[in-house]
Amino acid sequence: MSVLSAESRREYEIHRYPALIYVLVPVVAIVLQAWLPRILGRFIWFDLPLVVTVFFALSRRNPIQGSILGGVLGIFEDALTGHAIGINGIAKTLVGYLAASVGILINVENHAVRLIMTFVLSLVGSATYFFVVRFLLGLTIDTNWLTELYKAIGNSLIALVVFPVLDRFQIRD
Amino acid sequence: MESFVVRYRNLLVLLALLVAQILGLATQVRRVNKEQSGDGSDVRLIRLWANAIVSPPERILHFSGSGISWFWNNYVDLRHARQENAELQNTVDRLRLEQAALLEDAKQGQRLQALLNFQQKYIYKTVAAQVIGSSGTDQSRVFYIDKGKNAGIDRDMAVITADGIVGKVREVYPRTAQVLAINDQTSGAGVIMESTRIRGILRGNAKGQPQIEDVIRDQRIKSGEKVLTAGGDEIFPRGLPVGVVDSIANDPERDGFVQVIVKPAAHLNQLDEVLIITSTEPRFPPDEQKDMAATEALKGAEAEQQKTSEGMAEKLPGLIDPKLPPDQQPLNDTSNPNPVSRPPMAIRPDRFTPGNAVTPAVSTDSQSGDNAPAATTPSAPKKPAVQKSPSTPQNGDNAPATAAPSAPKRKPAAPKPPDPSPNATPASTPQSDNPPGRTP
Repeated sequence: MSVLSAESRREYEIHRYPALIYVLVPVVAIVLQAWLPRILGRFIWFDLPLVVTVFFALSRRNPIQGSILGGVLGIFEDALTGHAIGINGIAKTLVGYLAASVGILINVENHAVRLIMTFVLSLVGSATYFFVVRFLLGLTIDTNWLTELYKAIGNSLIALVVFPVLDRFQIRD
Repeated sequence: MESFVVRYRNLLVLLALLVAQILGLATQVRRVNKEQSGDGSDVRLIRLWANAIVSPPERILHFSGSGISWFWNNYVDLRHARQENAELQNTVDRLRLEQAALLEDAKQGQRLQALLNFQQKYIYKTVAAQVIGSSGTDQSRVFYIDKGKNAGIDRDMAVITADGIVGKVREVYPRTAQVLAINDQTSGAGVIMESTRIRGILRGNAKGQPQIEDVIRDQRIKSGEKVLTAGGDEIFPRGLPVGVVDSIANDPERDGFVQVIVKPAAHLNQLDEVLIITSTEPRFPPDEQKDMAATEALKGAEAEQQKTSEGMAEKLPGLIDPKLPPDQQPLNDTSNPNPVSRPPMAIRPDRFTPGNAVTPAVSTDSQSGDNAPAATTPSAPKKPAVQKSPSTPQNGDNAPATAAPSAPKRKPAAPKPPDPSPNATPASTPQSDNPPGRTP
């Protein structure tokens, strides 16, 4: 795993996509995240907005854009819940920032790296979520880390499938 | 300062976003605690936006779910429908063929059952055969059956069905036979009309219709009259149905004669099974044989009963006792409180006088007015001779041998006036040998 300077790597491996992809993919992720539970019931072991956030953060290698994208997707997730808006926003903002920051440092073209990154960032997002709920808002939450582990595995598997598909929309010079 | 911002730009943006959201959370929490009634208007706006973004696709997904399911069920899942349809069509075709075959078998079974019933009830011995071929031309109305010499078929045997006559066997082969139908021009069968009893010869005409020829024009011949076999052709037994009169037309070759077109009773164009009459010896079914045996037994019983009655008559007292003299006969017994009534004696007996059938002319020639007239009686010409024979009184065994069987013996049993003449006594002696009750 080669380590380059952040600026040079960003300029070297930045991925660009059509504008429609930047809009459509997050919307589809939010919609599916809201719609699929009706079909799958309790087996919601994935977080599509988080996967999309990680993908674009790794691809764009821009922590600001990753943070903003994560924050927006998180806020929209919160907006669909009955909870306070901002809980998922904070978690996704942090995940986007970390993904973009790590993507600057390492080569994330490898599928195994993407798999591990998604898995780890999913756990970070879950930890952040619980931290905010428990310590910032002072709310009681039923914490089941096994479920969060399954969710991290599910996100990794989805990323393993979705990332190559989304890479096909990459604008190549 | 500018370099600090540029250097930590990413981190500063992150912090800004986090702080903003934390502040937003703090605001929401504070308002919830303060108002205890949900979010503020600005927070609802964000939820409205999120809902506006998510709800339409969800609605589309929801309503398109059934469409997708329909699409899947009616298109994607029907990838092999064409092949299955073809297979099902083949199955339907095969089942239709099987159904048609079964239907044909059922019809054949019904025909065979009817033919078997007819064969069992028919008085003559018959052999069932299947029609296996035809002549192949309309000019020759012959067909072939699957029974031949080996099955006992011979030439000129009648071929019939349960409906009526069909034709006769013309050629016989070991396993097959050729049958000439009655509607062939070379065929011939003696027929008779059922009600008018008009006879004729049945032949086929050029159109393949059986017609009766040699029939004199008769107004009584009507359409619909039944035509039967006459039995004079030595082929078809008498009384078999031939058909019904279809139409009557004048014979163009002979004046005064008509041609009677007959609608055959048998379906000559749709023959499948036929019966060949192999023997005209009456063949009675078991029930009828039992009836006949019972009838014979009954006749024997009647004869036995008659014999018994004769025996009883010998043992019972009669009006004439041979062991008694004439003046002591039961007829002359005056001690009997219930004497036998006697008809008054005729002044001039004639042949109508009971027990004294004597014509006046004969009686004048007769020496004995009692016996001589009996000799001239037409119904009993020999009785007087027997009665007049002087040897018969002593020899009673000879009397029946020479006497007439029944009528003469029965006459003495009838009451007759007493004959006072001495000649009457010998005449009564032979009567004692044949008591009245012994009349056979």
